[in-house]
Amino acid sequence: MASLTSIINVDSLRKIYVQSDTSTRVVAIDNLTFEIKEHEITSIVGQTGCGKSTFLNIVMGLEKPTSGKLTVDGIEPYKDFNSLKGKLGIVFQQDRLLPWRRALDNVKIGLEVLGYPREEQIKRATEWLGKLGLANFLNAYPSELSGGMRQRVALARALCIDPKIILLDEAFGHLDEVTASKLRKDFLELVHSTKKTAVFVTHQLDEAIEIGDRIIVFGKPAKVLADIRVDPSIKEDQYKTQKLRREIQQILDKNA
Amino acid sequence: MVDLANSFDTEWTETESTAAKSWGKIKIGREAILSLLIFSVVWQIVSLFTPPYIVPGWQVIFEKMVHLQPHQIYITVGRVVLSLVVSFGLGVLGAVVMYLFRKLESYILPLIKLIMAVPVICWILFAVLWFSAVEFRIFFILVIVCYPVFLIDLLDALKGVPKDLRDMILSFRPTKTQYIVKLLLPATVPAILTSWKINLSLAIRVVTIAELVGAVSGIGFALNIAQANFSVAEVFAWTIVLIIILLAAQVPVSWVESKALRWRL
Repeated sequence: MASLTSIINVDSLRKIYVQSDTSTRVVAIDNLTFEIKEHEITSIVGQTGCGKSTFLNIVMGLEKPTSGKLTVDGIEPYKDFNSLKGKLGIVFQQDRLLPWRRALDNVKIGLEVLGYPREEQIKRATEWLGKLGLANFLNAYPSELSGGMRQRVALARALCIDPKIILLDEAFGHLDEVTASKLRKDFLELVHSTKKTAVFVTHQLDEAIEIGDRIIVFGKPAKVLADIRVDPSIKEDQYKTQKLRREIQQILDKNA
Repeated sequence: MVDLANSFDTEWTETESTAAKSWGKIKIGREAILSLLIFSVVWQIVSLFTPPYIVPGWQVIFEKMVHLQPHQIYITVGRVVLSLVVSFGLGVLGAVVMYLFRKLESYILPLIKLIMAVPVICWILFAVLWFSAVEFRIFFILVIVCYPVFLIDLLDALKGVPKDLRDMILSFRPTKTQYIVKLLLPATVPAILTSWKINLSLAIRVVTIAELVGAVSGIGFALNIAQANFSVAEVFAWTIVLIIILLAAQVPVSWVESKALRWRL
């Protein structure tokens, strides 16, 4: 891992929101500094409202940092928005499918934007839906799919553009445990087989440990409280995972 | 998987308890047919006890309908269709420009609201005073009345596109055109169809008054002649024609709605 190059660099990042009516300043991210290496699966954990989603939005270039610097593959996402076209994929907490598009059309929307030929769009989108067990639902509208199925479509939509980096924002958080567990396994298999860099944001510690090669613990407002490398061997050992879980919980409690 | 489509259909059938007939998406229930029938019978009975220049019987009205000049209908329908198409184009253009350049909205929106606040009859009088060309008069009145409805409805719908969806599509870094074509326009289809329904009804009512006051052709003009001749049956005959036009105009919109909004279940 140590020899891998860094792909996301966060340096003294701050994000402050100013409420327009009261002029109150709300610090969402406070002096965040760390880096994420290529092919690494990083879990980011923290309390609800600690700025995890804001961080992902800055990585995506959807929000502008107040100060500090964040680069993705050497590019500042907000300043140089279009340079990261096709390099980033994101799965949000809610599936955010376009209700007027069928599953296949929802998956291929990224490919349409990136200008892939129509045949290639259909081929790739069909393949990804197949991989995620939705081969029989290509023509279903989102309203005809269950929550888990919709989230799979959202996952396929993010992955089928073959992004270098994939971001997940509490992507399995609102699903039932059985569905979430199955999706986590699918996701891990896909990320490992395609050697992608993944940033997985969650407030569920078990999920963070199951997925991450590394866990970054965020305080509130977002700052790094701990940066823990997860030994893959402990994932099979319930006692060790519970121990790690307790340690992280203590760190969070101390800063609550 | 829950079959929402079927569950809604069942619920509708049970609560309405009607043998509804589909006509596009306009459902004519048994109760509606019955109430119209009762109204027709009552009308016919009243006509037997009142002079024909107050309440003419159905037979007289239908006789008049057979002899109406169809070219007046074509002229009115043609005016409505042309004006609505132009109004829609202007409305879409205005809404998209105001949405993309928000500062413009602060300047343009008060003017649009001012235009909407002016009563239709005033626009008709202005048109008669300002323009000598009859066709342009009617066109102007219809566009000035219908265009703001398209614009305001579409602008509201554009602003109402959820931030979640906007962020989702922005995450793929689309061009401005892709952003409009793949997100904004499809997301606003329901609002567009609603404003078409509103404007169809509005345009048919407005064109009749406009033709009545400021034209020498069309249904409004024919109504004026009928009134001058004190032909009450002909006034009713033209009224029925207008109602039929209005209902018929809803059919293509409802058909488009049923195709374009299939996803709504």
